Amino acid sequence: MNKIIMLTAALVMVLGLTWGGVALATPQADQAIWQSYYQKRFPNVPKEDFINGVYAIDPVSRESWEAIEEFPPYEMAISQGEKMWNTPFANGKTYRDCFPNGPAIAGKYPYWDKERGMVVTLPLAINECREANGEGPLKYKKGPIADILSYLRYQSRGQLTKVEIPEDDPKALEAYEKGKQFYFARRGQLNFSCANCHVQNPGNLLRSDILSPALGHTTHFPVYRSKWGEIGTLHRRFSGCNKQVRAKPFKVQGEEYRNLEYFLTYMQNGLPLNGPGARK
Amino acid sequence: MRTHHFSAGILVAALAAGLPTGSWADDQADFEKAMTAAREARKKAATVGGEWRDIGKFLKQAEQAAAKGDFATANQLAEKARRQGELGYEQAMSQKDVGLPAYMIAGSK
Amino acid sequence: MIALKTTLAGAVGTALIAACVLALAPGLNAADAPTGNPEAGKEIANDRKLGNCMACHVMPDIESPGNIGPPLIGMQARYPDKEKLRAQIWDATVANPDSSMPPFGKHGILTEQQLNDVLEYIWSL
Repeated sequence: MNKIIMLTAALVMVLGLTWGGVALATPQADQAIWQSYYQKRFPNVPKEDFINGVYAIDPVSRESWEAIEEFPPYEMAISQGEKMWNTPFANGKTYRDCFPNGPAIAGKYPYWDKERGMVVTLPLAINECREANGEGPLKYKKGPIADILSYLRYQSRGQLTKVEIPEDDPKALEAYEKGKQFYFARRGQLNFSCANCHVQNPGNLLRSDILSPALGHTTHFPVYRSKWGEIGTLHRRFSGCNKQVRAKPFKVQGEEYRNLEYFLTYMQNGLPLNGPGARK
Repeated sequence: MRTHHFSAGILVAALAAGLPTGSWADDQADFEKAMTAAREARKKAATVGGEWRDIGKFLKQAEQAAAKGDFATANQLAEKARRQGELGYEQAMSQKDVGLPAYMIAGSK
Repeated sequence: MIALKTTLAGAVGTALIAACVLALAPGLNAADAPTGNPEAGKEIANDRKLGNCMACHVMPDIESPGNIGPPLIGMQARYPDKEKLRAQIWDATVANPDSSMPPFGKHGILTEQQLNDVLEYIWSL
């Protein structure tokens, strides 16, 4: 009996090693595959340049984008956000009381909160700070939340993406796995996964739009999108993508999107933060 | 033959009086059955994160059509919503074990 | 009265038999009988909320089409069997699980009639 178990264990190990990326799908292995995939696909793009989204792979639109970045459409948002940061709440306290290391704190998020057993994102932490100080929460898609995020992320520019999945808590890995499943699952009447466009087809044309590679996808948020005519958050973008494939979007800052953000940001580890950004 | 004329007479009288006729009540009951099935299918899809975007809209439109007495349209919409609920559920179940696709792993080497 | 009924029944029966024979005749099966209208199909194919084929395919009369899928040309050479093309539009993931093409039939993005119309149009390209 023991022999059989040993034999089976050995067989499983051998198979596991042979299958490589499939059987040993640790977050580290996923991340290595993810980052290498895009670099192999776009060998002339330096890795750090992927933070510039589609402009990293399309020299034509890059020119007009660089012109836009000279007078960035998110400048007002940054100064609005700075005002928010410095204005005391009704109780006399400020955001700094919640975030003593602020304002350059974006690199810390999202993180796994072991006590609460959940992924905490920066917008969530901002609203929790407000509520702890007797202020109403901000809406998560646009407006004041995008302003203060713009300021905090601007102050954090150059910090490296460094999401951790603590090995001493299997629930953290579970959240990561859920985010990964979300990313690769087809959904909606049109049956698209996030990956159908941004893993399978970056550089290809969806009508006249070049699809952007997913390497670097989280670094530049919040983003001023010409299509929106204003600044929006990462979860607003998730929600919009889901609607486009005719799936019912999930709650912004709900568990699904927070796990998705956890996975997607982990995939970008090592890339510098460059938010807020401007995109088509 | 005589009974036939008689019941037709009652029907006409009932219509004239604006009373719900047997057939209206049947239509309403059938529609409600279709709506219950649609709502259940929608809920089932939602429990696995597989609800599609327009189901809610179809259900609302179905109710509006039924309120106007247009049960043909109402039932069609309820049926469409039910079908989408079922498809969304099937889709979500078929995707529950997905991970990095083979083409991505191959392309990374 | 009785005679009239018999005649009618006879006529209906003959028509039914004729229909059956037509359906069974070689080269005239359901797949080949044009059930769709290519002109209507073109409009549906080019409608952004219906076919929206040009989002991913190069097609006639379309400016700046996408290139995610192959150009829609020489379709009868690529699909001598029209039913295969229909199956592809119905649900392309059956033939290729990685296909990013939406399952227009399976997911009810198009109605049966719309799908038949689009099929006739695409097959004519």
